[in-house]
Amino acid sequence: MSDHDVTISVNGLERSDSVPARLTLADFLRERLDLTATHLACEHGVCGACTVLVDGETARACLLLTVQADGSEITTLEGLTAGDELGPIEQAFWAKHGMQCGFCTPGFVMTISELLDDNPSPTREEIIEGLGGNLCRCTGYVKIVEAVEEAVSLRGGGA
Amino acid sequence: MSLFGASIRRKEDPRLLRGDGRYLSDIKLHGLVHAVFVRSPHAHALIRGIDSSAAAADPRVVSIITAEDLPAGLPPLPCIDAEETTKPFNQPILASAKVRFVGEPVALLVVEGDRYIAEDIAGLIEVVYEPLPAVSTASAALAPDAPLVHFESNVVDVLEYSLGDADSALAAAPRTLSERFVTQRYAGTPLETRGVIVEWDELRQGLTMWSSTQVPHSLKATLVGYLGLPENAVRVIAPDVGGAFGVKLQPYPEEVVLGLASRQIGRPIKWVEDRYEHFLASTHGREQYHDVDVGYDDDGRILAIRDHAVTNTGAYLQRLTLVEPFVGVSMLSGPYVIEHQQLLSTVVMTNTTPLNPFRGVGHVQAAFTMERIIDLVAAAVGIDPGEVRKRNMFSKDVFPLHRGIGNVLAGEIIYDSGDYPECLNRALAAAEWDEFRGEQQRARDEGRYLGIGIGFFVEETGLGPYESGRVRVEPSGQVIVFTGACSSGQGHDTVLAQITADELGVEFDDIVVVHGDTDLVASGVGTYASRSAPIGGTAVRHAAGSIKEQAIKIAAEMLEASPQDLELVGGEVRVKGSPTSSVSLAQVAGRVAPGQPLPEGVDNYTLDATDIYHPPTNTFSYGCHVATVEVDIETGVVTLLRHVVVNDSGTLINPLLVDGQVQGGVALGIGGALLEEIAYSDDGQPLNANFMDYLVPAIGNMPEMVVEHMVVPTPLNADGMKGAGEGGAVGAPAAIANAVADALLPLGAKITETPLGPETVYRALQNAS
Repeated sequence: MSDHDVTISVNGLERSDSVPARLTLADFLRERLDLTATHLACEHGVCGACTVLVDGETARACLLLTVQADGSEITTLEGLTAGDELGPIEQAFWAKHGMQCGFCTPGFVMTISELLDDNPSPTREEIIEGLGGNLCRCTGYVKIVEAVEEAVSLRGGGA
Repeated sequence: MSLFGASIRRKEDPRLLRGDGRYLSDIKLHGLVHAVFVRSPHAHALIRGIDSSAAAADPRVVSIITAEDLPAGLPPLPCIDAEETTKPFNQPILASAKVRFVGEPVALLVVEGDRYIAEDIAGLIEVVYEPLPAVSTASAALAPDAPLVHFESNVVDVLEYSLGDADSALAAAPRTLSERFVTQRYAGTPLETRGVIVEWDELRQGLTMWSSTQVPHSLKATLVGYLGLPENAVRVIAPDVGGAFGVKLQPYPEEVVLGLASRQIGRPIKWVEDRYEHFLASTHGREQYHDVDVGYDDDGRILAIRDHAVTNTGAYLQRLTLVEPFVGVSMLSGPYVIEHQQLLSTVVMTNTTPLNPFRGVGHVQAAFTMERIIDLVAAAVGIDPGEVRKRNMFSKDVFPLHRGIGNVLAGEIIYDSGDYPECLNRALAAAEWDEFRGEQQRARDEGRYLGIGIGFFVEETGLGPYESGRVRVEPSGQVIVFTGACSSGQGHDTVLAQITADELGVEFDDIVVVHGDTDLVASGVGTYASRSAPIGGTAVRHAAGSIKEQAIKIAAEMLEASPQDLELVGGEVRVKGSPTSSVSLAQVAGRVAPGQPLPEGVDNYTLDATDIYHPPTNTFSYGCHVATVEVDIETGVVTLLRHVVVNDSGTLINPLLVDGQVQGGVALGIGGALLEEIAYSDDGQPLNANFMDYLVPAIGNMPEMVVEHMVVPTPLNADGMKGAGEGGAVGAPAAIANAVADALLPLGAKITETPLGPETVYRALQNAS
């Protein structure tokens, strides 16, 4: 199995590597780049824990091969907010207890970031629709919805 | 204002939100090699041979370990709640002659490279099986000609409890009903699967194991025993744990094999379960049916109950496998006065993944069975279900109540505190029970079927035998809290810091909580059975109280006052009535730092205290769930409208976090009520071992949720805390099932099982008379 050269911009840094065709984007991020906030929980595209942004749109890093991401721009949780600051979505999760074990949280935060970029003041129904592809086993989602509403307000969206 | 009882934000979160969590699979060590387990594809088979020559020829292979390579006479892991009568059907560390469920580990393969390569090579290991007839349900396993999972019988044990004379009372009862209630097999399925990294240290002749576990100290004791190592040579670390729910509450065979392999290989090994493997090899829960005969009168009073429960515990006894069977019957009558009870619990083995407790163990089936019984009685006598409950409930004056029947892990069942009728009243009010009846009638007039249902439960929480708490004050003013409890997301760091801040008056941000590391925390039990606040929290409270005493003693010399005249307020020891004369806790800690003579009467060069708290008995939390639903009678689809919970887990350290526990528990209960079922074919092949086919609740499955707290403190510990982690999962299936049954009452559909998926509801409607 020969490797393939890829160049991918990850959180604003250009990364070049040579990877096997079968290496998933999630494993590339986690194992090659040490970006371990992208979590693997099902590895078959259902749970959303590995959600990242590929050219600004959410994608499941467990279902993408690294070679498919060649030339694209990837954002992971580590790159969503500069430095040690918490962005509005992360602050909202903290304020509203939107997380317990935290394993699904990065995937939720990435999904919400796309959701609010597309629709800065979603209704509750739109929030529920938007988060339908992310599983959380701890919270029962109640406080995740509250966190999204808080994030809307922190970002200056909403009414 | 004290932080105790305040809904403050968690200490844990900023780190996790920055992506700086350190879960098991995030850990990297130099020279790491990767492991996969070769597992049985058969539910039941003889192993005729293992040919690993093709795999062994691959230069990347570091080690292949089968049962033959294990030290001779290695015992299986114990079942610690086995009775004398329990047959010892425990799981071998690796299968040798026979496999008994799909997923049972047969061999360990360790390779140089990564998991991709390990899985490639694992395919080259040829295990020759001779398949045997297999059995996957308890009913089939009880049949006279059933395939035998172990020896002469598939029945591991029959547990019996009785109170009064149920036979006579049933014979004399004005009315009786008989029914079978079925709770399916489902599982905790935390988002993070299990995983282990183990590193052998040649110099220390010992190992460090990182494991995604709830019980690092139990795991350490297991490794010490199986590897024959001294205690100081084994360190177990539970890093950030991505959910557990009971699935991670025992040492597993994989951890023992990996420990042994690390000594043989001398290099760090990593193994992380994938999701399919998790469904096969991590423990399941619940699967239990209850055959009940109930005697009652025209006023809806329940006079007697005879219950024969049967639990499908899978292929082997695990550490606490019998909890599901004995709690399922012991806690059957929950909040109700039932004078005559005859309870039988049969434990049956099948060729399926073993059972072990998970969130709400036994209580879920007990509440589902009892609460459905109450509604059937209410319908039969034509009295409101809320009223029937009130007529049968213990009053608030009975505590402490010796139930006189059954047992839970710590022995006799003694309800410690509560007010069940008040809880019920509050839940009915919050759910607008009476108003809903009007809405229901209007909907029925339009051909729509709405229903409302109650799920009341009493739950054993705060299980012993003990937990450790240690508080240490540094001369810098930092306060370090060590706990034997082990977080898997509950918020231990936050609530234990709240308790410490309350006791010592120090700043929340000056407190750091340490857990999940056996080198840093000398002894501990771990987190399960809703025990970390009532047991772990009480130990910390006591330890902090000792710090207070020590500090006053040390400060007496510093302030030239007698200890009786001193008090600790706001992190300072001061002279009562003279607040300007004070020293901070940091100064007190500095006064006993080494390198100077100690104050008179003080004999320790540290401000440090440990408490090992043994609770006298368990605390019994309770709660009332009221669910409202709409059922589409064309498709059988149940839509949840609203879910109300009034919960009493005693004193709340942090209401925000307790809300989160209850809400998350309800979600798990909703999964059990409507969606989740681990399915097997009749011959033991798993049918839905992935998240596409095994449905855990998503955000769109959740109804509007209302959580209220009642606080009746327990007298059993200093803060009056009872366990809060599981009740959400316990009451929800009963309430939802009752709501579905209520919706379909005019149509005569019989609701006696979960999950109430469309097909089950549709069949119930088809079978309705």
